[in-house]
Amino acid sequence: MPEISVKTENLVRNFGSFVAVNQVNIEVYQKEIFGFLGANGAGKTTMIRMLCGLLKPSSGKATVGGLDVYRQSEQIKRSIGYMSQKFSLYEDLTVEENINFYGGIYDLNQKRIQKKRDEIFFSLGMGDYARTLTYDLPLGFKQRLALGCALLHDPRILFLDEPTSGVDPKARRDFWEIIHQTVALGTTIFVTTHFMEEAEYCHRVFIMDAGKIIALDTPTKLKNRYKKKSMQEVFVTLVEKQQEKKTNPMPDSNDKMS
Amino acid sequence: MQRIFSMMVKEFKQVFRNRPMLSIIFIAPILQLFILAFAITTEVLHIKLLVCDLDRSQVSKEVVRGFGNTDRFDLLGFSTDLKEIKEKMKAWEAQMALVIPPGFSRDLGRGQNPEIQVVVDGVDGNTAGVALGYARGILGEFGTNYVKNRPNYTQPVGIHLVNMEERMWYNPDLSSQQFMVPGIVVVLLTILPMMLSALSLVKEKEIGTLEQLMVTPLTRYQLLLGKLIPFLILSYVELAVVMTVAIVFFKIPMNGSYLLLAGLAFLYLFTTLGLGIFISTITSSQQQAMFTAWFFMVFMILMGGFFIPIENMPPILQKLTYLNPMRYFIYIIRDIFQKDSSLFSLLKDAVPMTAFGLLIFSLSVLKFQKRVG
Repeated sequence: MPEISVKTENLVRNFGSFVAVNQVNIEVYQKEIFGFLGANGAGKTTMIRMLCGLLKPSSGKATVGGLDVYRQSEQIKRSIGYMSQKFSLYEDLTVEENINFYGGIYDLNQKRIQKKRDEIFFSLGMGDYARTLTYDLPLGFKQRLALGCALLHDPRILFLDEPTSGVDPKARRDFWEIIHQTVALGTTIFVTTHFMEEAEYCHRVFIMDAGKIIALDTPTKLKNRYKKKSMQEVFVTLVEKQQEKKTNPMPDSNDKMS
Repeated sequence: MQRIFSMMVKEFKQVFRNRPMLSIIFIAPILQLFILAFAITTEVLHIKLLVCDLDRSQVSKEVVRGFGNTDRFDLLGFSTDLKEIKEKMKAWEAQMALVIPPGFSRDLGRGQNPEIQVVVDGVDGNTAGVALGYARGILGEFGTNYVKNRPNYTQPVGIHLVNMEERMWYNPDLSSQQFMVPGIVVVLLTILPMMLSALSLVKEKEIGTLEQLMVTPLTRYQLLLGKLIPFLILSYVELAVVMTVAIVFFKIPMNGSYLLLAGLAFLYLFTTLGLGIFISTITSSQQQAMFTAWFFMVFMILMGGFFIPIENMPPILQKLTYLNPMRYFIYIIRDIFQKDSSLFSLLKDAVPMTAFGLLIFSLSVLKFQKRVG
């Protein structure tokens, strides 16, 4: 039995009367790429924010790396990396300065920062850009720099919130290559996306609609189960089914309404 | 420690890389100082005066000369028509008119206390009052000279029994710059720290880096200290620059202790930096933060005794000014500059100011959470 990295039990988050995440139970294993699919507004970002300690759950349980999200959110922050769709870098700092800054925030010493900086420049092929303002970088490079900064402190779990939105297909493939290398070194990846071809890269995927899980399995098994060739088709079928349920509710629920 | 230091290095780099921001920080205040120091003046000079001399004697000319010999009055011209006074005043061309009645010199010679009519445009009450004061002075002087030059003259009873001798303390020239410039120092120590801290925090919120910082081990205190210490330092640099200009260029006498001023400024900065944090917690874009900061600023400046002396406000508003931390600091700064007040005599302002500062600062820090919702 592999070690569990992230575990939730009946996790719920409400915003007023709106239920963004509804009774979610998941287990993510060490060294797994766990893909989290859903249309916009399905509750992906809310889920990730709760696990990173940015948002308090309304009810239910959740642990990250064995630490409780309610009581130990500050300890969790030491062992996780986080990269959002905004590639949160300082655009008025240079590439090097961004790395130095995040290195300093994670208590890395100068030697470690230096080593990491060289690694990032080498693996991302961006040494020439060291003194370039981040603002002037092409989007694909910004994304890779953001990933590099999120991995500076060798986190055990990496949360990626739609990390490839806006970049071209080539950059997206390069990005996933780095993700696979990172997993090989022992990191767990928790990634949200709405690019279905990316879902194929994941070990297991988890599809959410309106805050609820509607599927959770490996891409191969899901494709077999719904007899589809791609994750794209699986996703569309599942979401359409959900929508039919909503527009043609059960007769008894209709009675209750009236 | 390293975390705070990393934050500070980053903040300084960002401030100095942002040229427009830099000029707002250093050039704008000096410009403001010049403009405000010259434009905001309670001194009344060059009052437009119309003379209606119906007496046309040596003596009446002497009276008029008294008004012409000072830059307080600009002699517009003579008129014999009282209607013209009305028209000119309506058209804002004249502010004051002097009507010397026919037979003035004759009556004066007989010791009959003739009257000179002084008509003042009262729309601007302050100017009107000051102008009347000047006129009274000039006419008084005229009377004294008149008597002195005519030894045989029997002075009418009841005039000049008591002579007033005037001594202005602390500001002998009644220079308004000496009163305004220290006030401007306070305004700058309000605007700069509040704007810098509010805008830079909200900017990080906008671009998402604040969220990124919140998932790092950086604590709330480290984050805020790393952000605020650079702004604190910049505020002091600004204070030094503005004080230098004030003392060297405007020759504002600084009679008090620089150390005391710096120390009390530190206590005041708790208020303005705290307000900056507070604004950043209730707004989500730089525009919103800007507008909110302006709202606070207008209230603080209008109700702080900078433009409008608090003593001139209606009693209810006067009480309201006790809620304004700026009020205390304006008193403190003016006292230190002009009266060399000791800490002890400033306590009645320093204590409430510090209390406000600590209250605002700690509430804001508590409101600033390492969570997004």
